[in-house]
Amino acid sequence: MSKKLEIKNLNRNFWIRNEEVAVLKDIHLTIDEGEFIAIVGHSGCGKSTLLKIIAGLEVQSSGSCLINGRSVSGTGPDRGMIFQEHRLFPWLKIKDNVQIGLDHLTKQEKDRLADDYLAMMKLSDFKHAYPSQLSGGMSQRVAIARALVTQPDILLLDEPFGALDALTKMDLQTEMTQIRQQQKSTMIMVTHDIEEAVFLADKVVVLSSRPGTIQDIVTIELGSVRDRGSADFAWYKRRILNYLIGEAKVNTPEFTI
Amino acid sequence: MRDNKIFTHTRTVLWKLILPVFILLFWLLAAEFAWVSPLLLPSPLVVGRTIQMQLGQEGTLLADMSVSLVRILRGYSLGAAVGITFGVLMGMSPKVNTFFMLTLTAIRQVPIMAWIPLLIIWFGIGENSKISVIFLASYFPILVNTMSGIASTDQKLLEVGRMYHLSRWKLFTKIYLPSALPVIFTGLKVGLGISWMAVVGAEMIAASAGIGFRINDARSLLQFPIVYAGMIAIAVTGLAMDMILTVVTNLSMPWKNNNK
Repeated sequence: MSKKLEIKNLNRNFWIRNEEVAVLKDIHLTIDEGEFIAIVGHSGCGKSTLLKIIAGLEVQSSGSCLINGRSVSGTGPDRGMIFQEHRLFPWLKIKDNVQIGLDHLTKQEKDRLADDYLAMMKLSDFKHAYPSQLSGGMSQRVAIARALVTQPDILLLDEPFGALDALTKMDLQTEMTQIRQQQKSTMIMVTHDIEEAVFLADKVVVLSSRPGTIQDIVTIELGSVRDRGSADFAWYKRRILNYLIGEAKVNTPEFTI
Repeated sequence: MRDNKIFTHTRTVLWKLILPVFILLFWLLAAEFAWVSPLLLPSPLVVGRTIQMQLGQEGTLLADMSVSLVRILRGYSLGAAVGITFGVLMGMSPKVNTFFMLTLTAIRQVPIMAWIPLLIIWFGIGENSKISVIFLASYFPILVNTMSGIASTDQKLLEVGRMYHLSRWKLFTKIYLPSALPVIFTGLKVGLGISWMAVVGAEMIAASAGIGFRINDARSLLQFPIVYAGMIAIAVTGLAMDMILTVVTNLSMPWKNNNK
């Protein structure tokens, strides 16, 4: 497997009221092509910032972020992103929303791709509807179709199912495992849901808080079909949770801020 | 379900009409029982007949209204074009905003009536002075609303636009403009109302035709029913234009009607 993404020595600082605060510190991370990586950590640990740096929406303070050996500068069609909120354009019909990243193609190609991916997400009947006519779960499926249709090398997921109810969330997580088998994209997901991370990811990166540093990288060896109820599954969950709880104990005073 | 809808609709219409009907009745009673001098408050029946006559062959109401309307359409469309263009530029670019804001805010402080003498000196008492008054009156609310509509575009949607590498033009047509449309239309409505005020005001000060001129002229000839007729004509036409704008607003934002 070839290296898709290489993060070396990456730091990110913010200025808050004339004080420099380290958000990400000394991040080293290598992701191979086709891998599914989950990044977990407490809220405010910098995991979304890391994802935005990979997306090209934010810039690191120092260090490097290389995709296929090339330094990231700005956003690019090689990367797609799914956000926590569906972020569909309310004024565009579902089909037009899905085609937003396909401007470089001809109309026929755009239509064919949109139809394919809407069918894949079981949304064909809704292509002429507006987002306000769809439920939260359906809207998020449109957002997934919108990101997949550009066939990105790297798919970035920023707490993609965080705003959904428990059942919809589980359905979409299961669908995500099927999507993974069809798409060859490398996927990087930020989440605070440990079960979600263990269910979907090949490797789980555990970030500590303030500044965000990599505590451990847990490789999940549970095969491609995973049973949430199995003992092994619970073991992985426990292991990751211990990192986060352990940290919370040490840092309790800080989290009351 | 459908009957229910019609029922609700009828009830809304009735609810809207109660107040105007009540005012009309009160006016009728006040005039019939001569609570006020009939010279100052002619009966609505008299005003109604005046309007009828004025709309006929010998009347000037239609001619006056159309003169004023043409002025409004010319001045207002200019105001809308300039207001929306600058509003978009200033809303999208903080640099352009900073460049113009101070000057435009200073200009806005001068009441529109205070412009009229100067505009008459510049353009005479003909059409151009009226059109420029309407332009000055209407462009500002349109500019300010467009600007704030564009500037309040959801950053999260713009982030999506950046993620998909949309060009500046696409960012404008796919995100900024549709997101700002409701506020732009609010500006267009306010601007239209102010246009009426401006044209009537300008015509009262210096004009030889138009509804403002006619009202003032009738006053000096003591033809008070014509004063009333003119005011009612303005109200009805203004209302109609506002309603047309509401229809246009709804048509341009189909995503706002969810019950398809």
